[in-house]
Amino acid sequence: MRRFAILLLIVALSLPAWGAAAQSEKVLVVGLSEDYNGLDPHRAYEPGGSMIHTAVYDTLVTFPPDSVSEVIPNLAASWDISEDGLVYIFTLRDDVVFSNGDPLTASDVVFSFNRMKNLKDNPAFLADGIVSVDALDDLTVVLTLAAPDPAILAKLIFDAFSVVNAKVVMEQGGADAEDAAETDTAELWFNDNSAGTGPYVVESYEPAVQTVLARNANYWGEATYFDRIVIQNMPEAATQKLALEAGDIHIAMDITADQLPAFEANEAIEVFSTQSDTLIFLLMNQDPETGGVMSNPTVQKAVRYAIDYEGLRILSGVGTKIPPAMVPLGFAGALDESEGIARDVEMAKQLLAEAGYPDGFEINLQYPDFTYIGTEFGVVAQKVQADLAEVGIKVSLTPEELQTSLDLYRGGKHGFGLWLWNPDYQDTLDYVEFLPAGVVGARANWTDANADAKILELRDKVKVETDPEVRKELFHEIQLYEQESGPFVPLFQPGVHFAYRTELQGFHYNGQWRVDLTLLSLAE
Amino acid sequence: MPLHLYMLRRILLAVPLIIGISLVAFIIGNLVPSDPTAANLGERAAADPDIVAAFRAKWGLDQPLHTQYLTYLGNLLQGDLGTSIRTRRPIADDLARYLPATIELATAGIAVALIAGVAFGVISAVWRNHPIDFIVRILSLIGVSAPVFWLALVALLVLYLRLRVLPGPGRLDAVLSAPPTVTGMYTVDSLLAGRWDLFGNAFSHLILPALVLGAYSAGLITRMTRSSMLEVLSLDYMNTARSKGLKERSVIIRHGLRNALMPVVTVIGLSYGNLLSGAVLTETIFAWGGIGRYAYDAARSLDFPAIMGVSMLVALVFVVTNLIVDMLYYVLDPRIRTKEA
Repeated sequence: MRRFAILLLIVALSLPAWGAAAQSEKVLVVGLSEDYNGLDPHRAYEPGGSMIHTAVYDTLVTFPPDSVSEVIPNLAASWDISEDGLVYIFTLRDDVVFSNGDPLTASDVVFSFNRMKNLKDNPAFLADGIVSVDALDDLTVVLTLAAPDPAILAKLIFDAFSVVNAKVVMEQGGADAEDAAETDTAELWFNDNSAGTGPYVVESYEPAVQTVLARNANYWGEATYFDRIVIQNMPEAATQKLALEAGDIHIAMDITADQLPAFEANEAIEVFSTQSDTLIFLLMNQDPETGGVMSNPTVQKAVRYAIDYEGLRILSGVGTKIPPAMVPLGFAGALDESEGIARDVEMAKQLLAEAGYPDGFEINLQYPDFTYIGTEFGVVAQKVQADLAEVGIKVSLTPEELQTSLDLYRGGKHGFGLWLWNPDYQDTLDYVEFLPAGVVGARANWTDANADAKILELRDKVKVETDPEVRKELFHEIQLYEQESGPFVPLFQPGVHFAYRTELQGFHYNGQWRVDLTLLSLAE
Repeated sequence: MPLHLYMLRRILLAVPLIIGISLVAFIIGNLVPSDPTAANLGERAAADPDIVAAFRAKWGLDQPLHTQYLTYLGNLLQGDLGTSIRTRRPIADDLARYLPATIELATAGIAVALIAGVAFGVISAVWRNHPIDFIVRILSLIGVSAPVFWLALVALLVLYLRLRVLPGPGRLDAVLSAPPTVTGMYTVDSLLAGRWDLFGNAFSHLILPALVLGAYSAGLITRMTRSSMLEVLSLDYMNTARSKGLKERSVIIRHGLRNALMPVVTVIGLSYGNLLSGAVLTETIFAWGGIGRYAYDAARSLDFPAIMGVSMLVALVFVVTNLIVDMLYYVLDPRIRTKEA
């Protein structure tokens, strides 16, 4: 018993200590399920990392805080595009300095872009169309493309195109030559250091624990409110909720739809819900060997009419949107939600009869057995199974382990599959990947050989069209085509949810970096 | 056999054991019907054959399996655990970074389990069939059967959010920075640095996860101690001790508990190994950056070198705790000493 008493005494003595932690500086604490494995911006690929890179680094151009539909100047004060759309000339601001005080020059941009491309890491494909980057003088960067790319400015906003201090990074073993993938040794240095022009610098990064950003004393722009930002790794959404309610974190980044009712009555907490960029869809293989019945265009159309989209909306919860075709809502040129396919069981049955299956057929639905931002694939598959049963299609569910399923899907081996797609960059052009020979199109074995001329023509036009109005027209036509034919059924975009303390001001959501931490402040 | 020879033999026997475990871990890891390239490369990079080939060559995945294993074993014998595919850091650095947090948590957890388990077990045995015994038995049943994630969330909800007597997730308040690293255990390091404020904070952060993590073992140890005590209490020498006129307390502690502890020591040893290797859920919910979470992330991204590293470490932990348990027998039971002398 005496030992117990001593233990209790220690506990009692230690309690006042933690409540009295000194807090003279302004600290923002963010709860995030850490999804990144390092902080080298030129290897950036995860949304969580994007939020951090945006606070530490700048890109040539950027988006407004709450939208991705307009490109605005950032490090580049202005830019000119050549008539043929192949040459972009950027004029840099002359007042930008790095966190160590060095002025920004065009050679830093050249080094950064080349390093990103030549590291051949996850984001390198974004630079595929770039032939060369050159410094014309200290403040002029010339970017030359192989073919006109209407999405190039949106791609340059991706944090992998962050501009770093070339001199500092080279001193740490950074390389931008063609063999950078083998020779560059700066990756680990970026975990505890940074060399950017953003309002914050990386102070420390303890993987799986927390990332700490400190104010950049040499920042060239307007000073931010918080002196320090702590991004705490909280893998569990339930933990984030508790910590937010207790006031230990200011923002919870990974809230799920089922937690929302608990916040409603809580005046200390605000919730922000919107549709995600994630598109959940069905794939029906065009190759009769793999797809079987599903490769029949009339059957594909019947499936599109058989799905109960409104039911999926309710199933997926608050914030869910139903995209009319394969361009998610929120992207320029997406059809309006009201233009979607309405469920029509009779029509679906009639189409099946036309296709020669008046009594339906049996089919396997393959999908990865996992949960993604609150969407349980098994539950969605059951809903599809129930909907299709009503038109006579008997679906057997075939859940697969994620990596195994991914291998099959990427290899074009799924006959009838349930999948998701996240945009690689914030431009509608990314959705040509659902057209013949695109990344996802190819997985459905939709190729130039088996696609009809109309969609091929539309695809080739939209890939090089730069006029926003004409692009919009072309994307409309493509989506109307997708509603009629093709191997995909758009299901829904699940909601994403953020919860934050009411006293926090300046919260904006943007599909690229989600929350711009540098704009946040506390109500005094 | 003298103690030092016995120990030497045990340590030598551990070497083939660990090599055997490395082989089993390697085979199981490679039986998984999927590919680390898919798990580690992004959507587009995985579609580029050049990048995939470079990735496989870089991590030796293009070599035949037996070559991969022999290379691993060769490096292991030279003390090189390799580099993590996921974090790109040497595995040894990663383990050194995450292990102390788990040791700290598991040690606190086993301390909770030991103190609560033995105390409750003795109380329960002494007051057999008394209401106290009944309550203790229910508590131990809850400890053994309640799912860890449930217990963790309830504990957080009550003690952290509602009553505000203990801090929440994490090893320190977010506004504090960690003490200079010596052992990697914040409670120890803060004392070494003479930072009482940090110690208080780290210690109070440790209480909740330790209670939750220790709950299962506490329940187990309570039940073990109770049944073992009941057996001992009915033996003749207890009556002898009492008839000698010893105080009841002394009879129970000196004569009863000491003899009842033998099976309990085994449970404690095994529990400690389990706590070290099985803290994934507790670490996840309490945002505790330890080895359990590291192992989970490694498994999810099929990070073979890291999976192997953790397997080796866990094997080593079990070998060492078993060795310590055997030595404790030696200390606790004079018969072993006499027999082996």
